[in-house]
Amino acid sequence: MKKLISTAIAIFIVATAMAQGIKFNLIVNAQPPAQLSEWGNRREVLMLIVTGQPGAPGGDQFKIKTEIKTTDGTIIASADLAKTPVFTLNSTGAPTILLANDVMPLEFMVFTGKYKTSLERTGKLPAGNYIICARPVTITDYIPLGEEQCKNFYLASTQLPILMKPYNEEVLDAKKAQTAIIFRWSPVVPTQPSPVTYRIQVFEVLPTQSPVQALRSNQPLLDKEVLAATQFIWQPQLSFLPYDEETKKLPTFIWTIQSLDASHNPVTQTDGSGEGRSEPIIFFVNPDKNKIPKKTN
Amino acid sequence: MIRKKIITSSFFLCMFVATSFAQEIPDSSLLNKVKDKAKEKLNISGTMGITYEGYGLSRKPSGWTGYQPRRPWNQVRFNFTPTFKFSKNFSLPFNFNFAAIPTNFAGPYAGIKKPTFGQFITNPMNSFGLNPKYKWAELQLGTQYLKYSELSTGDIGVFGIGFDLRPKTFLFKFFTGVSQQGINYVAGPPVVTGAYKRRNWMAQIGTEKEGKYLFALNFAKGKDVPTSAAPPPLTIRPQEGIVISLVSDLYLEKGFYFKAEGAQSTFTKDLATPLSPNIKSLKPFIEAHTSTLTDYAGQLAVGKKGKNLDLGVMIKYLGAGFQTIGYPFLQSDRLDYTLNTRINAWKNKMNIVASLGQRVNNVKNTALRAKQFIGNLNWFTQFSESFSLNVNYNNFGFQTASGLNPFGIKNVSNDLGINPTFTFTGKKIIHLLSLSYNYSKYDERDVMTGLTTSNNTHTGVLTYVPTYLEKEISPDFSVLYFYNNVPGAKITLATLSAALSMQAAKKKMRLRGQLQYTLGKLNSFNSNNNLIASCNIDFKLTKKLTWATFLTTNYFKYGNEITPNGANYVETGCRTGFQYRFDTKKQK
Repeated sequence: MKKLISTAIAIFIVATAMAQGIKFNLIVNAQPPAQLSEWGNRREVLMLIVTGQPGAPGGDQFKIKTEIKTTDGTIIASADLAKTPVFTLNSTGAPTILLANDVMPLEFMVFTGKYKTSLERTGKLPAGNYIICARPVTITDYIPLGEEQCKNFYLASTQLPILMKPYNEEVLDAKKAQTAIIFRWSPVVPTQPSPVTYRIQVFEVLPTQSPVQALRSNQPLLDKEVLAATQFIWQPQLSFLPYDEETKKLPTFIWTIQSLDASHNPVTQTDGSGEGRSEPIIFFVNPDKNKIPKKTN
Repeated sequence: MIRKKIITSSFFLCMFVATSFAQEIPDSSLLNKVKDKAKEKLNISGTMGITYEGYGLSRKPSGWTGYQPRRPWNQVRFNFTPTFKFSKNFSLPFNFNFAAIPTNFAGPYAGIKKPTFGQFITNPMNSFGLNPKYKWAELQLGTQYLKYSELSTGDIGVFGIGFDLRPKTFLFKFFTGVSQQGINYVAGPPVVTGAYKRRNWMAQIGTEKEGKYLFALNFAKGKDVPTSAAPPPLTIRPQEGIVISLVSDLYLEKGFYFKAEGAQSTFTKDLATPLSPNIKSLKPFIEAHTSTLTDYAGQLAVGKKGKNLDLGVMIKYLGAGFQTIGYPFLQSDRLDYTLNTRINAWKNKMNIVASLGQRVNNVKNTALRAKQFIGNLNWFTQFSESFSLNVNYNNFGFQTASGLNPFGIKNVSNDLGINPTFTFTGKKIIHLLSLSYNYSKYDERDVMTGLTTSNNTHTGVLTYVPTYLEKEISPDFSVLYFYNNVPGAKITLATLSAALSMQAAKKKMRLRGQLQYTLGKLNSFNSNNNLIASCNIDFKLTKKLTWATFLTTNYFKYGNEITPNGANYVETGCRTGFQYRFDTKKQK
């Protein structure tokens, strides 16, 4: 018992001494990307600023002990300190800035239960509120070098819009379509911190092209940015080609929505093509309702 | 420079081949007899052509840029798709479709202006495919758009080499190549997004009897080369992915069918992330990084197809981490189920097509699960020779929690369309009168206040088409009224249009002209005006050579709803091209 007490006192003394030598500040974005591997690519997501004078008791080197908890305090992930990297205080006394890859190296983080399964299958944790805690520790016996700092964050997988109207393979009457076509889509979920810019693009599919090939090749007939709204009325101002008696193909179009954040970057850069583009769908314009056209291209 | 070379060389190639086909062979010498015999065995059929597209835009007042060009100023497209049939068992089809000027706006080639040769041939706007086939063995060379299944690969063109072997009922397929070249990021303007060079591999082993069954194992892999772009793209990550799927189709008697596919994908979202011992690798195919995911997908369709009744159920599940290189725009994390039906009744005078289903997004995260209801109905009835009625109804509803906001997202779209058509037949003329009314309602809930705003649209169209039984002209006329009302904005559009099509030059020429005028009004601003004129001329120069031209012009003048007041623009478009169809067998 005496030994235990004396060890605890020793730890307290060292920690207090080190705390005077090392100061640190944890900054975490309140709504970081849901894809945890993406944290390392964005400087603004997580930052740990460590300052201290070299020669402090415990040495100039330290490791970061990181834990992720649910709001009820259950630890769902912790850093494997035997494997995490060692950091050295800046010899000039200038602050050392550590980013997500240093503080939360995913290759050395051990996740538990359903969180581990979720991360392996989706790269994300289930949507909800979490707490990330970090503190520097000594490199051999992991004695804390100061108080733990914790920050709350909210994780939610960003879902790109689903295209609603015209629905996939809808055949529009040319008489109506040449005056106005209504486009509708669902909003980005969850609601983003700043209004989303929806860039709507419509491409003509040429008879020799597949729809996705047309999207990746052609100049869009419509390329319009709509702020925060999920409907757009397009006046195409086009003369649709007449029904082709030989190929029996209808004029075909493919449309998609690209969702952009306030900096004009895709709202999600890790899903699908990385361009924040929703799954495109096609629609046809039938210039002659009396003809039975071949829809496929 | 490359563009010029391509245009010039392709033009001469087209002309040379066209001339060769057009030439008649004198049949007096022995050599010609041999040639004739060879020609009997060799059959060449297909098409080739060249099309020019021109676009013009004039905006006023000068310096105003409120309207952007929407087509390339100039474009030349070529197609050359002959099939050389050397014997009953040996054929050599070509599929060359390419354009002189890159116009990519989305995807890896977005913004590229001066491609290298490698970038030119792998650009999705160009295809250079060659598929020599001997009996059941096909060699695949150049650009190929191969669809193995719904969950493995199908949307991407790959330039490379492979084969498709089908001995008896067996299937052995393999293809490897490059689907995109490395493209350096350019800050612009114009911005070039940039891309990493992507190598692709795909294979299929299985057994198939057309119309009876298919059972196959698919494998598709793609891997980016992280060093292939310098500077690299800013927002795109180098990726690697593999998908393995098992597909099974069964077509039974009496029209019953069963189609199923199960797939597993292992996908690394960022090859720059460190290797991870915590995640299972699928060696030797893929080594796990911290951004590697492994997830599943499956789809099942069961139903019956008949003469008067189709009934089918389709279920599709895509796990949140399911991703495949072969379908780059696939939206994962969803469960779709739909019931589809088609009914023909009343001696085929009544036709009903309907589908009902639901799409659930964010399946894994119940807190933000989004549900989308889908319902479509199209009901057509031919009551008599002179009267038919078409009714359609579409409903899309989207509902989900919205994260930290007090109210969830709820958007509901309803569309109802009624379209009666009357036909009156006279001695010399048939009158067709078609009325169409569509009501569209779109409700959106504000996530902060919980208030729902309604967006209502009414569209009415009246069309009159007289068909002259003894004349070669076919006119049609229509009037349209469109009204959209949303809090803060009211849009009214009224359109008058007339078209006339006719044949000329001993039926060798088909002409069609259209004129359309639209008067538009936004709130209480002055009206805007739009006039569109277009003309099609299809001229059959010879039995095999056609010349098709499409000319259009569009004038739009704003009211005072934008600054500068009275701004206007004129767009002009021209598409003209020659198509030569050939078939040496039919020529004889």
